[in-house]
Amino acid sequence: MSASVRPFTERYKRAVRDPDLKPRLLDFQRSWRLSRDAQIKRLEQRTERSFDDLRQDFAATKDHVRASWNDYITEFRSNAEAAGATVVELNSAADAVEYITSVCQARGIDLIVKSKSMVSEEIDLNDALQRSGINAVETDLGEWLLQLADERPSHLVMPAIHQKRQYVAQILGGELDTQFDPDDIPAMVASARDGLRKHYLQSGAGLTGANALIAETGSIMVVTNEGNMRLATSLPDLHFVTAGIEKIVPTWSDAHDQLQLLPRSATAQTISTYTTCITGPQPGKEMHIILLDNGRRDMHADDAITDALRCIRCGACANVCPPYQVVGGHAFGHIYTGAIGLVNTAFHHSIDDAAGPQGLCVSCGACETVCPVAIPLQRQILHVRRRAFNAGHAPRWERLALKLWANPTVMRTAMGIAALLSSAARGLGLVQRAHLRLPLPSRLRWRSIPVIPLRSGQTLIASRQPQPPLASSPAAGQTVDLFVQCLADRLLPQAVDATARLVEAGGANVQVPAGQHCCGLPAFDAGDWDTSRAMAQQTIEALEQHTRPIVTPATSCVIAMQDHWPQLFADDPAWLSRAQSVSDRIYDLATWLDGPGRLPNHSLQSTSQLWTAHRFCQMSNRDAPEARIDQLVARLTDSVPAELAEADVCCGFGGLTSLAAPEVGAGILERKLDCVNATDCDILLTNNPGCAIHLNAGAHARGDAHETMHYAEFLANLLPSDGA
Amino acid sequence: MTASADLASRFAAALADAQGEITDASSWPDVWELATSLTSTTPVVSPDAFEQLRRGDRPDPADPLRSIADREVGITQARLAIAETGSVLLIEPSDIDRAVSLLTRHLVVAVDRANLVADLAEGFTWLAAQPQAAAYATFVTGPSRTADIERSLTIGVQGPSRLSVAILQDSAS
Repeated sequence: MSASVRPFTERYKRAVRDPDLKPRLLDFQRSWRLSRDAQIKRLEQRTERSFDDLRQDFAATKDHVRASWNDYITEFRSNAEAAGATVVELNSAADAVEYITSVCQARGIDLIVKSKSMVSEEIDLNDALQRSGINAVETDLGEWLLQLADERPSHLVMPAIHQKRQYVAQILGGELDTQFDPDDIPAMVASARDGLRKHYLQSGAGLTGANALIAETGSIMVVTNEGNMRLATSLPDLHFVTAGIEKIVPTWSDAHDQLQLLPRSATAQTISTYTTCITGPQPGKEMHIILLDNGRRDMHADDAITDALRCIRCGACANVCPPYQVVGGHAFGHIYTGAIGLVNTAFHHSIDDAAGPQGLCVSCGACETVCPVAIPLQRQILHVRRRAFNAGHAPRWERLALKLWANPTVMRTAMGIAALLSSAARGLGLVQRAHLRLPLPSRLRWRSIPVIPLRSGQTLIASRQPQPPLASSPAAGQTVDLFVQCLADRLLPQAVDATARLVEAGGANVQVPAGQHCCGLPAFDAGDWDTSRAMAQQTIEALEQHTRPIVTPATSCVIAMQDHWPQLFADDPAWLSRAQSVSDRIYDLATWLDGPGRLPNHSLQSTSQLWTAHRFCQMSNRDAPEARIDQLVARLTDSVPAELAEADVCCGFGGLTSLAAPEVGAGILERKLDCVNATDCDILLTNNPGCAIHLNAGAHARGDAHETMHYAEFLANLLPSDGA
Repeated sequence: MTASADLASRFAAALADAQGEITDASSWPDVWELATSLTSTTPVVSPDAFEQLRRGDRPDPADPLRSIADREVGITQARLAIAETGSVLLIEPSDIDRAVSLLTRHLVVAVDRANLVADLAEGFTWLAAQPQAAAYATFVTGPSRTADIERSLTIGVQGPSRLSVAILQDSAS
């Protein structure tokens, strides 16, 4: 049977049905994180440079190579040829397969031993060789286990991380005709050693990848832990190297810089066991180096994507990815897994292959924080998602929902009806703690449905007395516009009202510009840029009536305005400038209360309730001050938060992800709420309305005891009732 | 502590982190004694190391790898040792050079104290200046390992399952 990739929906279903996958990957992610952080810290201390400086430097090297790509390819090629290697540049997967096949056939080779090579996976080499009667045996233990099980890698570095030892015992036992005790991993490994040894001794060729191609000498650098690469390049008389053309670095010094980042980011090792550098074949033997394009020049031609060619295949992006933890790499990826797989699959394979997993990414940006070559993965994934959307890959319900959401009148009517129905449900006793008690299908039971309050945030603000000033902030006496956010307006009206009161407490006046609705974020996240642009334009028109500061309780919308809008209007200078005149004035409430609308330390009442804070992941992963709500709340209320583990990890809301892939939303939420429960807090605070709604609904469904609140509401409740 | 002693202790600590073993052997005769104490058969010796030792079995040039597959103890010589990582740098242009380090179960590596350097950057600088050495150069850090089955660290999957390093005192001292 072929190990070709099954359809995405099937891969997704298999993943969510595997009860062991989630806990095992959670354990992996947590232990990797600890070891990796310790490694990086030691590296920073030893080099006296920050991780960001180190990675920016090496990223610049990789970018520099691509700026003179052909020159470096030529330099590598001529030096490798001078050392006796044969170098071929090939355009496609089919070309590469054909080349290797014909070289083998010309020499009568019918067995190849392979060291780990993602490019060989990319070109589906094993199956193709098999069709020509050439047997390719994987010698990396994990890859071999996959081959025996007819599976694909689920991780770039730990390919068989999804396999359980019981399963390994079964497939290895079948291959080696031995009964294995699943708990005796050393015995399995020892037998695998013997089982693999015979293949080396019989093989006519060895095949490896290359972690780096060193142009100045035509050398390759390969990193392994098992040492199989050294065997595969020593026992047979012919050595194939399959490498993407992006693997070139100019000098040995650059290869060192890569090595400084690679094992620490991959397996959290200072260095892997074997780092082997080879320059040409030994006399009497052959070395064929295949430099593969297969979409790489197309990636480079695309300004939004080219930085993905910096990738050194460490897999770190998967190791911090919340959805990856829930579904693993068979669902979260294609041949290439993790965040990078959501980008490069569109180029090495097809947009159809890249489309399936797009909806699993929650855009939290955790991947970017650990990427050792600073690839802007979050933004690149959104670009590929846009292509997938334009190629017709979004589900019909999603397209329709976005169209409806974009229309303020439709939304207002729908929300009004929902509020009336909520009210009726309350009368029928179907409401408990602000959520409906409905028999939901099991797939959706992890999150209760919140009721829609009758009065929106804007209505609350319009019908109340302003908050008396508590202190004279720099913005005292100014008028400030409020951007209430569509979601908060209807689902968290108290947070909207609270935002107004906190701004007023600093002595500013609050206005709510008419006609505001949605910044365009949901559509942008879904890849529907046309709808997103229309929503953004409508918001810009509403917010450009004045030139005053704009404050919002919606942290995600701040990102949309600052990050998405320039992309949406990149080709439209007039709208770009209008968008910027709005986004220049936007303040997240937290930065407002620490900045122009600063409230003094301890100016709010103290609280006896134990609180903790989930920091909106997108903001905290860019290390923005907006994220530091725990510091703000502590400062204003003279209290100390309960420490929340993984406070910056996504809560699983992820915009449409929790609707399109409910199991992913549920899985991430479970991880988050388990951390929250471990704090024994009374109140969970967060800074983004979507997260607040999601966390509240999830806690309600689980019956967790704590309350969930947007921090604005918590703070406003502690405003002195009589002002200053 | 002298700079050299400091390097040696950093090397030993890094090697231990990688499950390698530092030995007390500080001369070629010590290395031979150690290797023979580890096996009831004769140790196999790489061409480099043989020039120093003048004893031990050597890989058969006609079929170097198959001739010593799975011999218990091998001795080889490293060109450099890296204190930062606990690595030794093996320069092995041909399969005769490689046979011992690839296929023995317990590999004893000897390296001159004068060739102990601070970090990997020095190792790469050295390699960049030695085109012949770069034909087949490997930084080896501890014994062969895998964590491919349930991330359980298992030593000795393909290459040596034990790696011992002897730092040889300068012959003058």
